[in-house]
Amino acid sequence: MSIAELLAVAITVLLVGAVASLALARWRRLAGWVSTAFVAAAAIAIWVVVLRAFSSPAEGEATVLVLPGLGARLSVVVDPLSAFFLAIVATIAVVATLYSVDYMTHFAGNTLAKFYPILLVFFAAIVGVLVVSDFLFFLVCWELMTLTSFFLVTFERENAASQRAGLKYFVITHAATLCMVVAALLLWRECGSFHFGDLLAALAQLLVTRPVLAHTVLGLLFIGFATKAGVLPMGDWLPDAHPVAPSGVSAALSGALVKMGIYGLVRFFCAVLPASAAAVGWGIAIALAGTASLFVGTLTALGQTDSKRLMAFHTIGQIGYICLGLGVGIACLRSAPTLGALAIMGALFHAANHACFKACLFLGAGAVLYRTGERDMNRLGGLAAAMPLTAGSSTVASLAIAGVPPLNGFASKWLIVATCLLAGMRQPLFLILGLVAMFISLATLASFLKVLGAVFLGEPNPERQVSEVPATMATAQIVLAALCVLLGVLPFWPLRFIREAVAASVPITVPSASELLGGPWGLSVAGGGVALAVWSPLALVGGMVVLALVAYGLQRAGGAGTREVAVWTCGEEHAAATVRYPASSFYLPFKHAFEGIYPRIRWRVPAFPAGVRRAFDVDSWAYQPVARLVERSAGAVSRSHVGVPQVYLLWIVVGAVAVVAIVLGLVG
Amino acid sequence: MTTAPLLALALALLNVAVALLLSPLAEGVMRKLKAIVHSRQGPPLTQPYLDLLKLLGKEDLRTTGGLPYALAPALSLGSVLLLATLVPLGAAPPLGFAGDLIVLIYVATTSAVALILTAFASGSPYAAVGGSREMMMLLSVEPVLAVALVVGAVKAGTLSVGGILAWNAEHGPTISMAIAAVALFLALQAQAGKLPFDIPEADQEIMGGPLIEQSGPRLALFRWALWAKQLIFALLLVQVFVPWPHLGIVPLDVVLTLVKALLVLVLVGVIDAVNPRLRIEQAMGYYMRVALSALAGLAFAVIGM
Repeated sequence: MSIAELLAVAITVLLVGAVASLALARWRRLAGWVSTAFVAAAAIAIWVVVLRAFSSPAEGEATVLVLPGLGARLSVVVDPLSAFFLAIVATIAVVATLYSVDYMTHFAGNTLAKFYPILLVFFAAIVGVLVVSDFLFFLVCWELMTLTSFFLVTFERENAASQRAGLKYFVITHAATLCMVVAALLLWRECGSFHFGDLLAALAQLLVTRPVLAHTVLGLLFIGFATKAGVLPMGDWLPDAHPVAPSGVSAALSGALVKMGIYGLVRFFCAVLPASAAAVGWGIAIALAGTASLFVGTLTALGQTDSKRLMAFHTIGQIGYICLGLGVGIACLRSAPTLGALAIMGALFHAANHACFKACLFLGAGAVLYRTGERDMNRLGGLAAAMPLTAGSSTVASLAIAGVPPLNGFASKWLIVATCLLAGMRQPLFLILGLVAMFISLATLASFLKVLGAVFLGEPNPERQVSEVPATMATAQIVLAALCVLLGVLPFWPLRFIREAVAASVPITVPSASELLGGPWGLSVAGGGVALAVWSPLALVGGMVVLALVAYGLQRAGGAGTREVAVWTCGEEHAAATVRYPASSFYLPFKHAFEGIYPRIRWRVPAFPAGVRRAFDVDSWAYQPVARLVERSAGAVSRSHVGVPQVYLLWIVVGAVAVVAIVLGLVG
Repeated sequence: MTTAPLLALALALLNVAVALLLSPLAEGVMRKLKAIVHSRQGPPLTQPYLDLLKLLGKEDLRTTGGLPYALAPALSLGSVLLLATLVPLGAAPPLGFAGDLIVLIYVATTSAVALILTAFASGSPYAAVGGSREMMMLLSVEPVLAVALVVGAVKAGTLSVGGILAWNAEHGPTISMAIAAVALFLALQAQAGKLPFDIPEADQEIMGGPLIEQSGPRLALFRWALWAKQLIFALLLVQVFVPWPHLGIVPLDVVLTLVKALLVLVLVGVIDAVNPRLRIEQAMGYYMRVALSALAGLAFAVIGM
């Protein structure tokens, strides 16, 4: 089968699955299992596409539909960049659906007919976004993706917060989509086609001939994609929408949806800018936007006590890292191809890693919510003993997002920070950005140590009987946690594929994988034949294991006995709940130092003049008067219909007399 | 070139041995010094060794079970020993081929992660307060360390710690490196957990903070990790930022470095002996200013001074 046929199969399977789950929606678990089966089948097809795209030379476009009048055609092509994001989406889709099987039995008041079908269409739309090569159909898929995700966010109809968040998401992302439409039309006017290749060529030429127009287009595209990605300030929808969605959807939103913004940025910005003179300016702008996002997003997250909201803010922060890497890459790809390519690779690697650990964290928060009904971390604690699998995978994911070596978050942050600092030797601003990124990485650590401490560690609440989540939910989390470890210890393997993705999307020849990354045992950034920065996870993990064993040997050397004792609270007896250190108390002085960093803007919706509002209120001046008139005349008519046969006969006689009189009168 | 891995292994063993075996001695010197400043007799120099020996044999009282909790002290000490192999001692860092200064900074936080998670897991409110403070001190001090190392990186044009050392030994003192060295020295006071920055432990108010529920061999390992860490950061300071005289003969350089590190720790000990404890927000403000001032060093480095 060709790639296009495989994709058609995948999308058909997803849509058939949507119908099947709609039919079976009444049987909650069955609908979940059926959806999981269909998503898994589609994911297998997509993975075959991914492997095909990486292994064989690029297959040409397959055109499905041509609209010659518009210069648009529905054509499908999977280059390594699309394939890379398809791999993320396929993995996250399976895990999120599997997790939902048991999780969604929880929402008794809401029918699942508005969950699984929409979820499957949502995945199909994302696949569409990634594979079409025509902006018009890209926008169609993009809009379908936005709409379906809106319905997923607003799934809980009785929850006012989720309706409000959904509305905010709807409005903000549509404003962003509007920007993209305008950008597309501006380019279409220049080249008369919606095809990506033509648009990019037109954009590249505009950068030379009409820079103002070109920068306007780029600015509009940036707003469009950065909004979806969650870059501040446009990403303000994200901390409201992510927490209120069902947890499997939160994972899919953070793992797959926001990555589409990154995909758009790479597709358009990395494809055009590096070869142009505007590269440094735009690179710095994107890096600054990213740094602002990671700084504000992460420090705001530090102050949250709602577990899912905290993670949503961290999504903003981690997307900031990705943008920082992209910015550095765009800025220096031409002057230093090795450094630039590594920065973009770091950004893409972080996107994949973020999908793994953030999805795992959302699923972990969801597992806690499922068992305790709590998202407020002030009221949780000590769950590690009762939920060891959830606690374990959340710990791995927390340490991964905080960049503790050798987990995957460290590998990609290392690439981003190292390239940022090395780029800083030419462009000192990047030094500061790199330092901020390192500091914020530690703030991320602080934030997730708080989560672990407040939710899983400490004394359990004896009044609450909690047990581990069902196997489907636990499996989903463990798979993602295992990916966090694997991608971290063997970063060379995914990065080889990511190099292909970068090479396929930038207009500059990218050095070979072995040149870029050093040997298969680690990563290095070389300059002038010398390794300027190195990270070999296997060597350090080996060293760590040996040294920790030495330390453990020392610990056991004295042959000391072990005994379980109660916590010592200075001789006084306290219930564990009364002396608990709640989540809101962590790092108070530090939080005070950064209070108000996230601007709370109160939107004043402008009110139209009273006359205009009345003019648009068609009900009051057209519909209601007519309705009243009809009603009144109908009332008058009905008064004569009394239901007595004699009266009706009388009317007939009166009528006949009247007709005869009129006829006689006319004849006479 | 077959000797290179062997040499690296030998140097790694040397670094680990120094961090493990000499760090209690450095602590002993600091205790003695503190006693002298306080006009006391003070414990013998070997007292920290005796403390460790005694603790290793005492009963281990635990408030909570679980494998991660049981392994945390070993992970903490293990990661500090790993840090020792990333820091130069008389020669380039033995594991420098596997990790640069970014790796060094992140590995340096790993032992604190183990300690803080242990504190939260132990269930004691004092430990939770201490763990929270430990994290805030880390947040305050780490930027100073990062800025100082990045100054070196800009000067040497590489992120490899060995490369910075080599460049500095060859080119002699510069203004930017001097500023970075001073900043790093000020950070050392908190890295070592000494007054006025022993806020996380704060024996008189929260009774050892994260360590309150640790006893016997677990306490020994956490203490050991702390002492090893202060020696390692002193080594980092004197080797990377004040590497002169660099003779190129490894045994002599090792001895010289150790003497210099001990001198630095003596200075830390004196500051410890004559200062009262600060509050956490004062310490945070102080280190924020230190980090911002260290940015001046970065500015000098960028313009090549």
